[in-house]
Amino acid sequence: MTTPIMTKKIRRAAMLAGLGLGVQLVAALHWTPATFILSAVLGPPLVLAGGVLFLVAVWKNMKDKGAV
Amino acid sequence: MLPLSAIVALVVGIAIVAFLFFGAEALAGQTVGRLVLLAGLLALPLLLSLGNISYGLHESSSTRFCLSCHEMQRHGKSLFVDNKQALAAAHYQNRLVERESVCYSCHKDYAMFGDVTAKLNGLRHVWAHYVAGVPKKIELYKPYPNSNCLHCHDDARRFIDGPAHRPILPALYAGTTSCLSCHRVAHDMAKVDADELWQAH
Repeated sequence: MTTPIMTKKIRRAAMLAGLGLGVQLVAALHWTPATFILSAVLGPPLVLAGGVLFLVAVWKNMKDKGAV
Repeated sequence: MLPLSAIVALVVGIAIVAFLFFGAEALAGQTVGRLVLLAGLLALPLLLSLGNISYGLHESSSTRFCLSCHEMQRHGKSLFVDNKQALAAAHYQNRLVERESVCYSCHKDYAMFGDVTAKLNGLRHVWAHYVAGVPKKIELYKPYPNSNCLHCHDDARRFIDGPAHRPILPALYAGTTSCLSCHRVAHDMAKVDADELWQAH
């Protein structure tokens, strides 16, 4: 069973990952030295933040259920 | 714009993440679903980001990338001047370096952290372009090292047997005599301004 809080956190993680990829997509479409730097500085950290948020949500959920 | 394949990969990645956003509730309830979420929200976006950065770093070594700032366009034009002694022009026109990465070939150091230093210098260039302002005269950050020339010419017969090189080979290898002390013109800006360009017939 998933809780609404977990679903909310996963959606938040998806939003961050999507935003990170979106930043990189915009830079890829408008490729200049500045957009490349912005996409490299913003994109991967956002993607990473989304991934970490997802892992934390799953971990907490498993912990609450006593699975870990 | 990056190549279509990179853009399509990012669009597909975003579509998958959006799909997982709406299917989160259903997927999170089952083990397989969680694995799908793990792959779609962590592994896939990370892989796409790594690929994108890797491609971007490769692309940032290209001639068109360097010349995309207007400050460098005169230097870009110097590749085409009609002067066989001008180093940039001679190397470009005779295909002594890859034309796709001609700036990078000569202006990055071939030491262990040469690539890193070049990329950090690139950041300084962008900073100067957008924030600090470009100096009136564009100059190298440090004297041009012989090792960059020797990376290619080192054991080339034409270099070693060259009558002008023979007596000073040890000094050239030691870096105590600069290659540029004889090969004085790297970029012939006078001919750029005079629009004296070489054209293949």
